[in-house]
Amino acid sequence: MAAEKPHMNLAVIGHVDHGKSTFVGRLMFETGAVPAHLIEKYRAEAKEKGKESFAFAWVMDSLKEERERGVTIDISHKRFDTDKYYFTVVDCPGHRDFVKNMITGASQADAAVLVVAAPDGVMAQTKEHVFLSRTLGINQLIVAVNKMDAADYSEDRYNQVKKDVSQLLGMVGFKADDIPFVPTSAFEGDNITKSSENTPWYTGPSLLDCLNELKLPEKPDTLPLRIPVQDAYTISGIGTVPVGRVETGIMKKGDNVIFNPSGVAGEVKSIEMHHEEVPQAVPGDNIGWNVRGVGKNDVRRGDVCGPTSNPPSVADEFTGQIVVLQHPSAITAGYTPVFHCHTTQTACTLMSIDKKLDPKTGQVKEENAAFIKAGDAAIVTIKPTRPMVIEPVKEIPQLGRFAIRDMGMTIAAGMCMSVKQK
Amino acid sequence: MGEVAATMKIMPTGVDVDLEKLKDDVIAALPEGAEYGTHEIEPIAFGLKAIVMVVIVGDGEGGTEGVEEAFAAVEGVESVTVTDVGRPV
Repeated sequence: MAAEKPHMNLAVIGHVDHGKSTFVGRLMFETGAVPAHLIEKYRAEAKEKGKESFAFAWVMDSLKEERERGVTIDISHKRFDTDKYYFTVVDCPGHRDFVKNMITGASQADAAVLVVAAPDGVMAQTKEHVFLSRTLGINQLIVAVNKMDAADYSEDRYNQVKKDVSQLLGMVGFKADDIPFVPTSAFEGDNITKSSENTPWYTGPSLLDCLNELKLPEKPDTLPLRIPVQDAYTISGIGTVPVGRVETGIMKKGDNVIFNPSGVAGEVKSIEMHHEEVPQAVPGDNIGWNVRGVGKNDVRRGDVCGPTSNPPSVADEFTGQIVVLQHPSAITAGYTPVFHCHTTQTACTLMSIDKKLDPKTGQVKEENAAFIKAGDAAIVTIKPTRPMVIEPVKEIPQLGRFAIRDMGMTIAAGMCMSVKQK
Repeated sequence: MGEVAATMKIMPTGVDVDLEKLKDDVIAALPEGAEYGTHEIEPIAFGLKAIVMVVIVGDGEGGTEGVEEAFAAVEGVESVTVTDVGRPV
């Protein structure tokens, strides 16, 4: 699968039932990512059953059945190629409790397609997803005004939805003028790969053209080294072996590194990946490594490994911008839920609600607010109950995002703005 | 509400854990509503291997939490990390 093309993670976001899954299926189908032999098989089946015209929906349904029978293997990674890039689709679940996974998981999206159904326009989840994508650091967006077939391919309707979505994007700080809008029908295939005859009034690029126009994100290997420790092992003949995924920077054999907040330091003796010794590790690598003079009880899950010369920031307090997704009542100072950030889960106390933001404008609505509720965004001061590493999102975005959980729910998502170090 | 494919990386407590048995044990521990999808054994480093398992869960309250907790309680499991979530095609 054309590994030499640059890779991008693409999130597909939008309100439930606005056609996200059909949209992803259509992209994969049009780019040849659905295996040819499967398409042939279903085409034959469709003909047999008297569906003379080969229906795209038939393929999607059949693929779903195939999966339910356990035939397909790689079910969670959807990949497709355009002329320029190789994409992995992050097809976001609808429920808010998955936001935690989007933050601590591996697939940080580099760009997103916001799917808005033309007949419905902007809905509750459209707003929430737009706000979240901003919080999660997704800066490149394409808007698909979808289900145009269900809106009679009306130019007026398209323009109205475009106007409403532009307004919403402007509110959260996107430059709506720079964001491409495409009238689509994922079901019929309009304007996905080429201009559709059904929308003669639209002369802009197709959706695939827009995907090719995306810019590659800055590589995280130029940032300082940060490896959150997933687990630490003692292996006979080797010693202490922490394992984890390199988030940013490069670690080479012989480097002097420190584990924070534990504070132990030493020289990197060896690095292994896929059971083979490697001279260096780069972002995305899942590695185990061994550091001279570091005992098993010196390092633990949640520690972050970085250069001794530029150690990971241990926060005494930090300020964060959060958006409250769900909470049964009101959140006030003193609230102490669990923060999920890289591999750490740390109880943190909300010290003060410094600024409550108006979700409509992004402007400060209230200084030193008494409480915040579901749907509110705010700048807050947070104090971890025990030492934890977190970095300002502007400096090391991979270590600056967090999810707040309590009562088995994801209460809020946020990003770290600044850190007051210990 | 549809369903979600969650990729979970399960680390054993040490290099001497029988991963085939551990795989069967975690599958047996799946809570109601969650379904085994597929898995593979991924070599990590210094003899350590991870079980990378795709589990299908409902797109509802709690997300992957129930499965994470159930897996973490299985003997021989050191940690459970959700590395990816998406919708199965």
